[in-house]
Amino acid sequence: MSGLQTFLLVLAGLGLVLFLIRPKLGRAYVRYAMLILVGTLMMLPFVWLISASVKDPDVINDYTFLPPPSVWRSPSVREGDQRVAVDEVTDQALVNEATRVESTINSRNFRDLWTDQQTPQGPVHFSRYIINSLFLSSAATTLGLIFSSMGGYAMAKYRFPGRSGLLAFMLASLTIPGVVLLAPNFEIIYRLGFMDTYAALLIPGCVSVFGIFLFRQAILGIPDDIIEAGRIDGAGEFRIYLTLIMPLVRPMTSAFCLITFLGTWNSFLAPNIFLQSQPKLPLPVALNQLVGVYDQQYGIYLAGTLIAIVPPAILFFALQREFISGLTSGSVKQ
Amino acid sequence: MNLEPRPPGLQETARSPHASSRALARSSAGASARPYAASAPYLFLLPYFIVTAVFFLYPLGYATVLAFFQTSGPVRRTFVGLENFSYVLNDPDFYKALWNTLLFAVASLFLQLPLSLGLALLLNARQDRLKGFFRLAIFSPNLVGQVFVGILFAMLFTPQYGLFNKLVFALFNTGLQERWLGDPALVMPAVIIASLWLYVGFNMIYFLAALQNIDQSLLEAARIDGAGAWQRFLNVTLPGIAPVATFVVVTSTIGSFQLFELPYTLLRQGYGPNNSGLTIVGYLYQFAFDGADLGTAAAVGWILTLLILGVSLIQIRLSGTTRKDR
Amino acid sequence: MNYPYGKAPLAILIIAILSGIWLFIVELRSRSERADLIFAVFAKEHAEAYRKPIREFEIENNVRVQLQLVDQRALQSRLQASLQVGAEVPDVVELLDGTMGLFTNGPLEDVGLLDLTDRLRAEGLDQKIVSSRFGKWSSRGRIFAVPHDIHPVALAYRRDIVEQLGIDVSKLTTWEEFARVGREVVRADTNNDGVIDRYMIDLPADGGEALRLLLLQQDIDLFDADGRVVFDQETVAQTILWYVRQFQGPDAIAYPAGWGQTLSQSMNDGLVLFYIAPDWRTKSIESNTPALAGRMGLMPLPAWTEGGRRTSSWGGTGLAIPKSSRNPDLAWKLMQKLYFNDEDLGRRFRDSNILPPVRSAWSLPEFGQPSSYWGGQSIGKLLVELAEQVPQEHSHPYQRQAIAQLNSAFGRAMLYHRRSGEDGLIEYIREELKVSADRVRAIVGRNRFLNLGESGKSEHHKEAAERSGPQSKNDPASTEILPVLEVR
Repeated sequence: MSGLQTFLLVLAGLGLVLFLIRPKLGRAYVRYAMLILVGTLMMLPFVWLISASVKDPDVINDYTFLPPPSVWRSPSVREGDQRVAVDEVTDQALVNEATRVESTINSRNFRDLWTDQQTPQGPVHFSRYIINSLFLSSAATTLGLIFSSMGGYAMAKYRFPGRSGLLAFMLASLTIPGVVLLAPNFEIIYRLGFMDTYAALLIPGCVSVFGIFLFRQAILGIPDDIIEAGRIDGAGEFRIYLTLIMPLVRPMTSAFCLITFLGTWNSFLAPNIFLQSQPKLPLPVALNQLVGVYDQQYGIYLAGTLIAIVPPAILFFALQREFISGLTSGSVKQ
Repeated sequence: MNLEPRPPGLQETARSPHASSRALARSSAGASARPYAASAPYLFLLPYFIVTAVFFLYPLGYATVLAFFQTSGPVRRTFVGLENFSYVLNDPDFYKALWNTLLFAVASLFLQLPLSLGLALLLNARQDRLKGFFRLAIFSPNLVGQVFVGILFAMLFTPQYGLFNKLVFALFNTGLQERWLGDPALVMPAVIIASLWLYVGFNMIYFLAALQNIDQSLLEAARIDGAGAWQRFLNVTLPGIAPVATFVVVTSTIGSFQLFELPYTLLRQGYGPNNSGLTIVGYLYQFAFDGADLGTAAAVGWILTLLILGVSLIQIRLSGTTRKDR
Repeated sequence: MNYPYGKAPLAILIIAILSGIWLFIVELRSRSERADLIFAVFAKEHAEAYRKPIREFEIENNVRVQLQLVDQRALQSRLQASLQVGAEVPDVVELLDGTMGLFTNGPLEDVGLLDLTDRLRAEGLDQKIVSSRFGKWSSRGRIFAVPHDIHPVALAYRRDIVEQLGIDVSKLTTWEEFARVGREVVRADTNNDGVIDRYMIDLPADGGEALRLLLLQQDIDLFDADGRVVFDQETVAQTILWYVRQFQGPDAIAYPAGWGQTLSQSMNDGLVLFYIAPDWRTKSIESNTPALAGRMGLMPLPAWTEGGRRTSSWGGTGLAIPKSSRNPDLAWKLMQKLYFNDEDLGRRFRDSNILPPVRSAWSLPEFGQPSSYWGGQSIGKLLVELAEQVPQEHSHPYQRQAIAQLNSAFGRAMLYHRRSGEDGLIEYIREELKVSADRVRAIVGRNRFLNLGESGKSEHHKEAAERSGPQSKNDPASTEILPVLEVR
């Protein structure tokens, strides 16, 4: 029996015992045990990612996760006073895992990343890509939020000729694979003079069917009498949308922001097709440039990926509070 | 939920869990509201109409026309009628792709969405730092891009060294040598496992957001009436999140039918042994990208669209009727 | 004001405004002058290697060259889309192996790339390059791209373990002998736990590039020089049979090591002894498994018959000039600077282990230097020896689909073998190969434009027309020439 099997059996046994003694405690235990198991499975790749990014590129493939602490700081391969690259060492006996690099755990990947990097079009500092990505993602989110929620409101709360047909059309437009539309889309972007500008990425995506549909579904659940009441009070249609409806779908607004921000943050193919100047590139494109075609040196790429995770993770934490019961439902009840 | 406009007076309100007696009283009293201008909905939708007109209608028309043509580069094309469609519909590879795609769609509907909902329910409790952490943990796979996913899963699914194989071996004492990405029978399961890891947290977010608008007092009332947890879920929670659940079901279905990037990345820009990882969009991609046959690619696109549209409309209709029945 | 919608949208709006202002100011201050030549590449390694020569080129010619490093998929999408709709294209572009066919699927005059044949001949450059290398970049006898590399294939192996096991690699001259020795290696269970401790060779489980590479070694490409589908023949069936046997059943010696970390681990641990290694892969072995310095070796591929070819070919890059390039002559000049300057080629080989197809460069000292990583072996010398034997390939618009179909037949053979063993296996493989080949013929046959511009001297055109029946007879009258989208 393997260690893991024993561990799981002990866990299950513990749960059973708890259930017998104090059922309530047992339930909480089961819930957390499940969460911890699922959470660990989900986070495992991150542990791997973090390990890979702090390992020296020379030992990245030697250990699945981190090397044992005993070799974290191991002596370097030295000939005389010079630290010598492995393939120049004459005495092969010197070359073994423990002595190959100065220290197996270091920040070399991050240091290499956080500089004026040599690119095909001159030096560009890594922070520039972060700012590009921040701008693209936040602008796309802001535009998308405004226009999509407006559309969603109209689709949910107005009855107008062609509404159901329009909804079917919208859904249909979601289903057409982008590959088929690429060439004509490319032509439009080119004819509008959007090539190599952020307009090529922001304008076509500024209102998404996906968002309209999401807000339509969220707003459907809001009672119509709130709108009626607003009209009786003499509020204009736009004001009703802005001041009465939108505050009620705050959790969905947060979900939309998170998902749109992330979608743009990680989008890769479209910016790669439409942008050409190196300083304009967003983070994923710039990171992908670090991975070679023949020789995939992914240590530095993984370090970049780790940095790239930080802003959306902060956003996620900031949005946490929107997903806590009882904060917003009060306003619905009025 | 229903696609048809409802007659006035029979609003969603009546069925909505939010319906409060005060609001009902007011609308039935018939207090007269200022009527809105007929143009209002169109103005709200104006940005959508503009963007669609400029960036969608022309490409759509282009793709539609193309489906009936054979092309050669930019300058030459010839009308072929329905030949592109008939070729695709007679191609065994298309049915293979269809089967794989359906398998994935079913798995994401019946495996991934219930899991997402279950996790959302588990994590939807009062202020709790620990749960905040778990929410992040479960959502975290969405923070990384596709390239990383490729690097990662190539490592997870390798026989002998793959972490996934090691885990399975530790649990069941077998399976260490399984070639997940090299065995036709295991490619789609591997894709589904990878997609679970990626998307469970994604859909959880929608469910979490939807759960916030459940009226806590209704839950409380049900509890006082002696309804069990399952009863409360069926009678209060589920109806409350129904609109958003429909959204998740419909968009997940559309997304599953468009599955391409994940298997393509996992299989190192390929379609798996014996096309075992070929999806409909992958099949389309073979024409558009591997073969420069845009006409046939467009035809596949249309077949896919009709397919998804049919399924989605059935889903929406179903969720509409269940609401009516209550 | 924004607070009722949650803090997040407000924060995002503020970020958008701040970063927008910042970028606006930066953009105002940067002067953007249009480059005289836009050069798009997909390989980071190439972009780095070209930086210095491009700078020299800019000074020599008093021009500005903008080098763009674009992901391969995005680059191909961009090229395909812009040629399709007549939008702007790079002035020079590097193409990945197998993608040129996408631009040659119609009559020759429709190809969106410049025909470089006459330019190459006029300057005698075609004589400087190993001629088999042009096959990849030609269509109907016309050359549309200049090869960047030659990519001979060898076998990399764990020299230390192989020697310790008493295997003499100089005797592994045929695949038959290789497999025989391999069976001994695999069957020796060193710790008697029933788990195989050591495999002989790393092969992809889905056929991948390896199957085609093994066929190329026997001078069989998927298509012949006239574009006919030719992979449903006995040798191919026998090769698939061989491949299947190496993978499963009692005689299996192969293991799919994958790529990335698990590949390096199987090298480090010696789980697999031999790895198919084109020139470019030797570099990635060096950098991904530095611990194996001095313990690796490189040998020619075993041949299929005694005295047969000891190498094959895997991958490649070619440089093409789109017809709508703004300055084809300058682009041509740049190509010469980058591809034919011996000194640069020597330096590049030292950095990348990639063998250029230009013969004159091979005599440079860089190509003969012993490498300590490879135990003092001169891999340059070995690769140069193999280079002249590299088999001829034929580019074809449907090459990728043909590879997919070939591998799909192989996949079915693997399934059959697992289900029913050796009984009737070879017959089954023959049938499935025919099915796959016929499917490719059907795909090719549907193309009504291939060879439209030629006088019908190629039989391939006729075959295609016959296969797809009467309705697809090439009828120039039904072809619509679109006037709007002009390429030139």
